[in-house]
Amino acid sequence: MELGIFTIGDVTTDPTDGTTVSEHQRIKNTVEIAKKAEEVGLDVFATGQHHNPPFVAPANPPVLLANIAAQTEKLELSTATTLITTTDPVRIAEDYSYAQHLSDGRISLIMGRGNTGPVYPWFGKDIRAGIPLAVENYNLLYRLWREKNLDWEGNFRTPLNGFTVTPTPLDEVPPFVWHGSIRSPEIAEQAAYYGDGFFHNNIFWPTSHTARMVQLYRQRYEYYGHGTASQAIVGLGGQIFMRKNSQDAVREFRPYFDNAPVYGHGPSLEDFSTQTPLTVGSPQQVIERTLSFRDWAGDYQRQLFLIDHAGLPQKTVLEQLDLLGEEVIPVLREEFAKGRPADVPDAPTHESLVIRHREGRDPIPGGGEGSRAYEDRQARAAEGAQNTTREGADR
Amino acid sequence: MSTNTMNIVAVTTSLSEDSTTLKLTNRILGQAASAGESVGIDVTTDVINVRGLATALTDMTLTGFRSEALEQAFVTITAADAIVTVAPVYKAAPVGLHTLFWQLIDEKALSRKPVLVASTGGTVRHSLAGEAVLRPMLSYLKGIVVPTTVFAATDDWGTVEGGRALTARIRQAGEELVSLTATIIGAGNDDLAEVADPESHAGAGASATRGTSSANRGIVDEFDPANVTPFAQLLEG
Repeated sequence: MELGIFTIGDVTTDPTDGTTVSEHQRIKNTVEIAKKAEEVGLDVFATGQHHNPPFVAPANPPVLLANIAAQTEKLELSTATTLITTTDPVRIAEDYSYAQHLSDGRISLIMGRGNTGPVYPWFGKDIRAGIPLAVENYNLLYRLWREKNLDWEGNFRTPLNGFTVTPTPLDEVPPFVWHGSIRSPEIAEQAAYYGDGFFHNNIFWPTSHTARMVQLYRQRYEYYGHGTASQAIVGLGGQIFMRKNSQDAVREFRPYFDNAPVYGHGPSLEDFSTQTPLTVGSPQQVIERTLSFRDWAGDYQRQLFLIDHAGLPQKTVLEQLDLLGEEVIPVLREEFAKGRPADVPDAPTHESLVIRHREGRDPIPGGGEGSRAYEDRQARAAEGAQNTTREGADR
Repeated sequence: MSTNTMNIVAVTTSLSEDSTTLKLTNRILGQAASAGESVGIDVTTDVINVRGLATALTDMTLTGFRSEALEQAFVTITAADAIVTVAPVYKAAPVGLHTLFWQLIDEKALSRKPVLVASTGGTVRHSLAGEAVLRPMLSYLKGIVVPTTVFAATDDWGTVEGGRALTARIRQAGEELVSLTATIIGAGNDDLAEVADPESHAGAGASATRGTSSANRGIVDEFDPANVTPFAQLLEG
């Protein structure tokens, strides 16, 4: 089980004192947060990708991730998310490969389509083609990381002739990819098809919805023969604010919640806490709530918390990390391990992926021999051949 | 006939207890139920009062977040065979809370569903408001709005003449709703199907044999693995 944090890099005015940190300060703070995450024993730091204010999450996340990699030893560095729609897959392949080498394999990606409409035209893309872009671009990225001298032609970028990514991925094993989506069954299907991970950032969604999408992914993962449904690689978001005393947590967080750019002036903190994973309270409450995710998502592999948004002061964010490290993470680790079936895999690491690759157990996109998807394909092909024969006879 | 039941859901914005809007809703549902009964269909009805979802609708507008109650209301609509929408008219348009509900529901939520539009207002000057505002909105959601709409002004509740005219209109609209729905879901006896679709005997017969599985009512559960578009197909574009 990977436990970590993700940031969206928002520069938001602190509603309690009206101060706003500079972009420079926010960027430096982000690095400090990541370093602290490692120090207190978290597994993952993840950053969003942004191209517009009020966000300073990097336009090209490997820039930030490589900088953090240079200042940390063990921390897994991820995106949340990489915009697969508007970023050239060739640059994703090259830049993340490079960062993977620099970090000795500590890079992973969560793919997302982005929900800011204007970004698409800035990069010459059309938001109406969001899904086809995600489908084609990822397919190209997948191949770029695995094939040399690639000839490729598609709808959304210039063709490639005999193209080879430099550098090739570390140990010829690409970074692990999660596909993130909150609403689109196509993306759950995409993750299942490739045997990649599926990440649902459920922080704005009722459990019932998230559970259905996770379930869809799990069942399709099994269909494509990458493992049983319970072995599929699932990640979830979360949102927390803690103080030793839960009343203090609520009192302190309320103004940030009420004025937050995303949900401020909307639902009450209480309603939002009931209906989404937001947990504002004591470390014990955070532990209990997070453990309950397993009841509807099954045993899963990655849990990321949002802790540094809505104008919270850096000091407060660092205190959250202390609480996470001291009181929450050790208990979550222990409790998540209890009753977890031995055949449910941990989140993939570079080391585990290298072993898998060398043993020839890499997932086969679309399902290899023995999978139900494979059988269905065979059946369809046989049917097609029969029809062709019949048509021939009719003539 | 594969089915003899029909579920009609009323979406009503009744702002006070025992409002004329709620009264009108109940009369329409009652009339539709007896129209169904007369042709052998067991009509069940549900009422969603948008008032109870007011905060959730505002929250969803601001944050995109759907509360469980709102999600449940949307699911109820998706599962219904036919819809009745009833709202008071404010300033020559159905009250904003009501239109907001239809603006936030999923695209195609009303696919293949007959819809009856009704509204209430102080004077008859408001009578075309529901027609003008809701009909395009409901059509956008792929609903099939029946030709007759119902409008009840204060007078209609007070005078004998007004009352008669309103009753006749409710009956007319209710019958249109029930017969059209019966054709689509393949319910009731054959006479009814013919009445609803006099142009095409074949069409009525075919719809009856199609049964009433959710797919035939235009509801596709996109998170059901059986309905997912295989990725190979997405890849081919």
